[in-house]
Amino acid sequence: MRKKLVSLLSIGALSVGVLGACSNDEGTSGSGSGSKDDVLKVWSFTDELKEPIKTYEERNGVKVELTIVPIADYPTKLKPALESGVGAPDVFTGEIAFLKQWVDAGYWENLSDEPYNVNEIADDYIPYVFDLGKDSEGNVRALSWQTTPGGVYYKRSLAKEVLGTDDPTEIGNMMSSMDGVFEVAEKMKEKGYKMFPDEGAIRWFSQGANPEAWVNENNELVLTEDKINYMDYAKELRDKQYTALAPEWSPSWFEGMSKPIKVKEGGTETETQVFSYVLPTWGLHSVLKDSAKDTAGDWAVTNGPSPYFWGGTWLGVYEGSKNKEAAYDFVKLMTQDEEFLTDWAEETGDVLAFKPVTDKIKDDFSDEFLGGQNNYEFFLGQADEITPGIVTKYDQQLDTLYGASVLQYVEGKKTKEEAVAEFKKQAKNAYPDIKVD
Amino acid sequence: MKKLDRYGYAFIAPFWVVFLTFSIYPVFLTLYYSFTNYTGSPGEEIVGFANYARLLTDTYFIEAFVNTIKIWGVNFALQIGLALLLALLFSDLRLKLKGLAFFRSFFYLPNLITISSVALLFGILLDWQHGSLNMMLLKLGIISDPINWLSQPVTAQLSVSLILTWMWFGHSFIIVMAGVSGISKDFFEAAHIDGANRWQMFTFVTLPLLKPILLYIMITSLIGGLQLFDLPLLLTDGIGAPDGSLNTMVLYLYNQAFKYNNYGYAAAVAYGLFLITLVFSAVVFKGMFRKERAAQKGA
Repeated sequence: MRKKLVSLLSIGALSVGVLGACSNDEGTSGSGSGSKDDVLKVWSFTDELKEPIKTYEERNGVKVELTIVPIADYPTKLKPALESGVGAPDVFTGEIAFLKQWVDAGYWENLSDEPYNVNEIADDYIPYVFDLGKDSEGNVRALSWQTTPGGVYYKRSLAKEVLGTDDPTEIGNMMSSMDGVFEVAEKMKEKGYKMFPDEGAIRWFSQGANPEAWVNENNELVLTEDKINYMDYAKELRDKQYTALAPEWSPSWFEGMSKPIKVKEGGTETETQVFSYVLPTWGLHSVLKDSAKDTAGDWAVTNGPSPYFWGGTWLGVYEGSKNKEAAYDFVKLMTQDEEFLTDWAEETGDVLAFKPVTDKIKDDFSDEFLGGQNNYEFFLGQADEITPGIVTKYDQQLDTLYGASVLQYVEGKKTKEEAVAEFKKQAKNAYPDIKVD
Repeated sequence: MKKLDRYGYAFIAPFWVVFLTFSIYPVFLTLYYSFTNYTGSPGEEIVGFANYARLLTDTYFIEAFVNTIKIWGVNFALQIGLALLLALLFSDLRLKLKGLAFFRSFFYLPNLITISSVALLFGILLDWQHGSLNMMLLKLGIISDPINWLSQPVTAQLSVSLILTWMWFGHSFIIVMAGVSGISKDFFEAAHIDGANRWQMFTFVTLPLLKPILLYIMITSLIGGLQLFDLPLLLTDGIGAPDGSLNTMVLYLYNQAFKYNNYGYAAAVAYGLFLITLVFSAVVFKGMFRKERAAQKGA
């Protein structure tokens, strides 16, 4: 008998050890099998939602459990839960990279239906932001509280020295076309400065004035004239030595924000300064302010040749959730609650997509880092100009593939035709269902 | 007696439950997916051998196969060569080198660093404009313009090979050393008396007796090498830049599955990889032992 007990205990202990090794740490102190109704489960890939969650808990007396999964693993971890419903969240966020795929996958509750009726407040949102949360049938699946249009951040001191002014409007006018950008770049070069850190900086303007979706409704790959011309612009930037040869996110790319950096070209080494960085709203708070402390106050933001947006986070209610009402209350707080959003915007500087709030606060915004400029108003203006309806689920990967092909051409390893052909082949290989001419 | 048997089964049950759930089931599920057009959400259709037919004519997969073999081959030759050379030096009766224990751990150290740190470290060392390597070469006047190591196919592949060698030669060295110390001193002394020089000792005594050890290193390295994935993913853009030269088989599988959501096709790639590994291992195994069997038959 005792033997039996001992062996059973050891087996138990062993199983715990073996199974324990397979469980994964979700980074939350989950209440495990607590009753379904008093805990709201939220999944996201940043800690951004911590503040709204606190507010929500205080207001409603509901406990919220936030699970944060790093963006690299987020889709792969969340998908199985959504497919099976086991351990699935009530509310979860989606990033622009996979947003389009998810709104069509049916994971999110249809918010155009009763009792949500979000279509009634469609006019309260920046058009492109509201539009992105719609599935292929036009039903809203996810909403976003923010808008993430981009601009060109530049150093005021260099602008004054080279262009004779540091006024964002005037400089924006100089850069309102690609030719204008190159004129400014030439002037910068004459004074020994570099226009951009690398040629990838202008990829956001590759759409040109008439943006089109990568894949149209007939499922055909669309490579517009503008996109092909972008190849030449990128090559020209490299060939004419307008860049500091510092690829995005590389150490020298960050360094160029606050210090002179060294560039080795054609057998000589020169020390130069980078004039501008092409970044969106969040680039100010999470990139520039962190990396350019020494040059704080010397920056301003203005428009490039065409409006663009980069990134963004949407959120919605899981269609299999057992607490849809509470879940939607949370979504509402984050996307429609005037009081909360006003505090949020003033605290974080996040540019909101919800007009009732932005209309109230946009006039008296100013950022010390940008020399007191009201960047809020600027970004809202850009956001309104963004063409809705051209984002597809293929964008993220096709942009990456196209970027790689462009780089081959820029570095002179392939001709333009070869680079385009290679891109088409890659696109076809990644997405066999797309029609590629 | 019978009772004891039952306890035994109970003891191994936890392992089997876990093994069946987390290893065997996924293997068969993958096999099933490889015959479907599964894209990550339910509702897949059976497509028969379409994925495998595509695999055989897929230039990117063939490219990935060639790249993987190239990168692994260069790395393995250097790794085993270095390990043997070091083992030879340390086991030489006449040299009597000191500090074996120290060097053993010292050479093994690179293997303990996580691969992402390694990728970051070499990314910085090999950086085109600001990398230490280019700085040094420029200062020494060996080159006049910095070389963009990770943007030329040949140097990019070579870089990965050398990083892998740096990471793994210590591991091979330890195993070879263990093999060498397992060889009886009598052989060496006998060869010494017969007037064999160092090279002859190495080729006629050490190498033949090390054969099983070398075979073990080769098979494990091959299986690991065919699964090369993390370095190419982290060193460049994650899709095999420059110009597909760092596109390896597992990287291709990963991109097909998790970036392009072609799970069905990725499953077929996984089985293709499995077959390739099987064939290679069998060839290596046979090649190593055929001679011996022939010798035994002839005797």
